Amino acid sequence: MDDPVADLIAKCAAADRAAFRSLYRSTSAKLMGVLLRMLGERAEAEDALQEVYTRVWLRAGRYDPTKGRGMTWLIAVARNLAIDRLRARPLPSSDDGLDAVADSAPRAENRLVAQGEARRMVDCFATLEPDRASAVRGAYLDGLSYVQLAERHAVPLNTMRTWLRRSLLKLRECLDQ
Amino acid sequence: MTDLPPPDHEADDLLAAEYVLGVLDLPERAAAEARAKREPGFAARIADWEARLGGLNDGFDDAPAPDLLPRIEARLFPSPAPQPAPGWSPLRWLSGMAFGATLVLLALVTLGPPRLAPVALLATADNRLAYEVASVGDSLRVTRVAGVPAVEGQVHELWVIAPGAAPVSLGLLEDDPLIVTYPTPPAGWVLAVSVEPAGGSTTGQPTGPVILTAQVGT
Repeated sequence: MDDPVADLIAKCAAADRAAFRSLYRSTSAKLMGVLLRMLGERAEAEDALQEVYTRVWLRAGRYDPTKGRGMTWLIAVARNLAIDRLRARPLPSSDDGLDAVADSAPRAENRLVAQGEARRMVDCFATLEPDRASAVRGAYLDGLSYVQLAERHAVPLNTMRTWLRRSLLKLRECLDQ
Repeated sequence: MTDLPPPDHEADDLLAAEYVLGVLDLPERAAAEARAKREPGFAARIADWEARLGGLNDGFDDAPAPDLLPRIEARLFPSPAPQPAPGWSPLRWLSGMAFGATLVLLALVTLGPPRLAPVALLATADNRLAYEVASVGDSLRVTRVAGVPAVEGQVHELWVIAPGAAPVSLGLLEDDPLIVTYPTPPAGWVLAVSVEPAGGSTTGQPTGPVILTAQVGT
């Protein structure tokens, strides 16, 4: 399958600096979107963006195009860094941030509906109960932890764990069909 | 239903899913990452979940990114890439010829595989633990020349620090020499080794004690 991002990553693995610049120009807006949404602050997102592309250059040789598309790998690198930073933060003292997150969730859903490539994901999400689907999205898109999700949905921590694990198994069953 | 995977495989797959979803806490994440490095099967579960949940990536909007390339490249490539000559001149051409001839001579004298050029020695005062950093081609090679690796559950991580910049991880120092694509750091840059949880720092910055440092070119 045609995957120009994957080609650029492969060239980075061969120490091609021009390819690295092309990769930055063609993908940094998407990764900035990921980091800004998850970390919430532009200055921290910009700092994280530098770290992400540093890692991309140093780890490009580990990318395996048979395992997934180039952009999926880049977003995984960015999400992993953002989640590490979020988990290293002390827990927020107020729930202001969580309210903002709740407001942004439906927008993501609309975008999912609008884009054909994620159609399958939308169909599989439709098999989940709405509050559980929202918890999965909150974890993936906003980097919420089990504790934050339990607070946001006003359920005990263990209930949230059970919700998410069952939802993940259901999604796997649906997506692997 | 006789072909269901054993329950521990199911637990592994859920752990991989929770790792990709991002809901684990920091120690659990570090443990999952360390396991993925040890076990290709577990790493494959993570890759499968990244592909599955990648369907959610359309939920991330683009955001304008400033041009951070100069800063990123300054961290990654200490010496600037050779610039094309601004203009052609006979003198430049002649000096280029002379330089080329010198290179050929040098190549004749030093024929053989790329040479290891020492960059720095990271060692404790009593030399009971020491890592030798050398450049070979466009890579750095880091070899433990004295001492033992970090204790079980921990690992030595190598960092390079440009003046005034945050440390950048070059990789984990385990039993085999570490070879990482990275140019020779210029004089004044610092190399450092910290003790991190198995799998390495998960924050992108040193989290444990820094046990060895060396300044390049001193």
